[in-house]
Amino acid sequence: MRTVVIGIDGVPYGMMETLSDKGIMPNFKDLRSQGTFAQMKSTLPEVSSASWATIITGENPGEHGIYGFTELMPGTYNMFFPNYMHLQAKPYWERGGRHVVINVPMTYPAREMNGVHIAGFVAPDLEKAVYPASALPALQEMGYKVDVDTEKAKESKLLFMSELNKTNEARIKAYRHFWEKEKWDMFTFVFTGSDRLGHYLWDAYEDDGHEFHQGFLDYFARVDEVIGEITGKMGEDDRLVIISDHGMEKAKTNVNINALLEEAGLLKLGEGRGYGRIAEGTRAFAMEPSRIYVHREGRYPRGSVAKADEEKVVDEIGALFKGQEFVKRVFRRDEIYRGKNIGNAPDIVLLCESGWNLRAQIGGEKMYPSPLAGHHTYEDAFILTNAKVPEGPSVEDVTKAIGDY
Amino acid sequence: MACINAKKTCWNCPAAKFKGNVDFTACGQSRNIEAENAQIMIECRRRPGLGHFEPTITFEDCPEWEEGDYGYMLKNMKVMILGIDGYLGWALALKLGKLGCKVSGVDNYWRRDCVAEKGSHTVVPIERMTDRLHAAREVHGIDINFRRIDVMDRDKLREFMDEVKPEAIVHYAECPSAPYSMVDAKHAIKVQENNVLGTLGVLFIMKDIAPEASLIKLGTMGEYGAPLTGRPLFEGIFPSDAALEWKGRKWSLGGELTPRDPVSFYHCSKVQDTFNVYEACKYWWLRSYDIMQGVIYGVHTDEIATDPRLKTRFDMDEWFGTVVNRFVAQAVLGMPLTIYGRGEQIRAFIALDDAMQCMVRLIFSPPEPGQYDVVNQVSGLFKVSDIAEAVARVGKEKFGLEIKIQRIENPRVESEKHPLEVVSKKLPNEFGFEQGVTLEKEVERMFEVLLQPEVKKRLEEKKHTIMPKTRWSGMKKESGTLEVYEPGSKEKEGFEGVLRRGA
Repeated sequence: MRTVVIGIDGVPYGMMETLSDKGIMPNFKDLRSQGTFAQMKSTLPEVSSASWATIITGENPGEHGIYGFTELMPGTYNMFFPNYMHLQAKPYWERGGRHVVINVPMTYPAREMNGVHIAGFVAPDLEKAVYPASALPALQEMGYKVDVDTEKAKESKLLFMSELNKTNEARIKAYRHFWEKEKWDMFTFVFTGSDRLGHYLWDAYEDDGHEFHQGFLDYFARVDEVIGEITGKMGEDDRLVIISDHGMEKAKTNVNINALLEEAGLLKLGEGRGYGRIAEGTRAFAMEPSRIYVHREGRYPRGSVAKADEEKVVDEIGALFKGQEFVKRVFRRDEIYRGKNIGNAPDIVLLCESGWNLRAQIGGEKMYPSPLAGHHTYEDAFILTNAKVPEGPSVEDVTKAIGDY
Repeated sequence: MACINAKKTCWNCPAAKFKGNVDFTACGQSRNIEAENAQIMIECRRRPGLGHFEPTITFEDCPEWEEGDYGYMLKNMKVMILGIDGYLGWALALKLGKLGCKVSGVDNYWRRDCVAEKGSHTVVPIERMTDRLHAAREVHGIDINFRRIDVMDRDKLREFMDEVKPEAIVHYAECPSAPYSMVDAKHAIKVQENNVLGTLGVLFIMKDIAPEASLIKLGTMGEYGAPLTGRPLFEGIFPSDAALEWKGRKWSLGGELTPRDPVSFYHCSKVQDTFNVYEACKYWWLRSYDIMQGVIYGVHTDEIATDPRLKTRFDMDEWFGTVVNRFVAQAVLGMPLTIYGRGEQIRAFIALDDAMQCMVRLIFSPPEPGQYDVVNQVSGLFKVSDIAEAVARVGKEKFGLEIKIQRIENPRVESEKHPLEVVSKKLPNEFGFEQGVTLEKEVERMFEVLLQPEVKKRLEEKKHTIMPKTRWSGMKKESGTLEVYEPGSKEKEGFEGVLRRGA
């Protein structure tokens, strides 16, 4: 028995249901009738780094240590971007068996493993994204790129679509190449253009008169073709898991949590740049997209909240956001995190109401129209599998469906 | 002033490698350095364990930067000096080496050859490079990684740069002589080829090999010329509140390059360099300080004074000798100090030791990616006639020399009477430069060196190379004497230079 994991980044359950029902993804529709197709919860916050880290390890962020795309270096206000080096738990491909792993986010830089690994977003250098190095020439030959340059989307949607499809085709070539050339027990292949489409062109999905509506659908039709091609090559006993890491919906209004903390007197900003502007007297600050941290004495250079006052500050933050029109729920650390790295977890994570998009930039407006068309959602990732999954699955359950080698 | 660069960050540091921009709200990555609403992502060559991060660590918070005499200094900074064998290059190599930099350098002995071609020599004897390197190791414990390379040999330069991977590049590998460029077509072309094409090659190599290194490029105050209107000579780029008014309309000039009005084919080559470096910073996000250096003079830095084998060259011939150096040489030889034309020309000056201090400060406060900036490296403005008076005064008072001054027909095409206002605010205010030596003090040191018997003998041997024979008009004729006078016998007249150094 072999196992195939296909990821379709940032795609909501409802959209997969709609596209397959409408005949745009017929292969997926067939698979729905043959296995379990369920709505799946993402991580909190619902970002790809934390979610994929959970998917590949089966661990809670409190254990694997990835809570978002950004963190502060210990004892400073300097921001760093956690990557695979910071993952504190083993991905399933390091637990036995031979693997091909293509384009899983949060797995850069690639490291030694049994098989072939091509890391996904964020991956600035292809050379460091590939293990073993001997796999690199073939990828370069096929014009493989880790990701589309999203700045192009800001400049021209036409160019963005063209680059997105080119990147997707090179990735498909890569899957075909390694599927045939490598021996493997488990094959993991992730589409990430789907997420970029959602962010930049969700309106094109919802509006059938949109210039890029057909282009949007064509991308998913192509994904479905590849799913059909892959499943057509699988044996009857082989295991199939198709997942997304979080959902997506139309983004309407951005809310800057730090601006609200500042307004409430919890955050004081001084001169400088980025988090270096956090000034004396600050009791709380937020990091993207919705993580709020108590500004603890001893932990941060200008931290001012004594241990005895931490709970009081957490309560104050909770009270500030509870009942706000854009907040669906306020989660305290212990409600969502467990594990050896919980000490680094945010004290509070906010879940937003539909349409609202939480942000945590330093400085800037409190609320403003979202410059992006789509934003992530928590409750409607999906899983489709012919294996067993628990009722009401979350991304922490994916490794249960995948099984062990 | 010591910690003037304490708040500079990784964005200025050559160890920081730009890895892209990440827009986490859209799960987007880009190699575009100017991405909107995105986080800049770098990695540190020196601290790879930090992974990817925002370039916000300040020099004062980074263990790779240590506080020293010139502010925060990057530990073992790799500095490559192009033209390391020259008057400035060698002095800077020793200074940087003493400060703990890993100094490398190239030279093809172009200067030695050109001076020899003109029948002259450095009057302060200098060692062969091999012996200089041995002496530097023996006296100062400095290991200098030297290669004999012509900057025009791009393949060899690329190979060496790739081997060294410099964090700062000082570009002195240019012909510094206006008269040499005016001899004839062959010399003008030689100067422009070496200077313009050599620098262009350096820029292309930097793009590929060392895009994070700062280029500290030697220009000259002569690029600006001396406008008769008295318009201030800003530091290369107009300040934000500068404006152009014409027929009732007004436009901001802020951020634009200021006018250049070069005064020889050599100066033209420097102006072309300015544009090439400016463009490279714009196209490729290279970073550079373009140094508009005043007329250099002097013999002293602490490092070269330590041992005779470490001396830097000293030229006094008409092509490679600068005016103060030539006046002191003439005084020692008992020749009248030779002024061109009226002698009312005002020029900006800086002593060797002060120039070296400026260079060190610039090297340790690198610009940001894409930043092209200009500094006017100047410590004083003087009329040529006043310089002659000062040299004569020091010669008489300190060394008992009776010195006359003579005016001759001006071999150059230049204004002989003009106002001059120079802005030189950046080095003192942003980089912590403090003038360490006065004109009179350095002239005194020069007399001490040039009056040494061995040096004086070498001066005597080449005294025929002092008087100018190269005329800007192309006429092959020596300049006739207009007047000979006693120092102190003339009333002050004309304009006085104005140097703006305040914040």
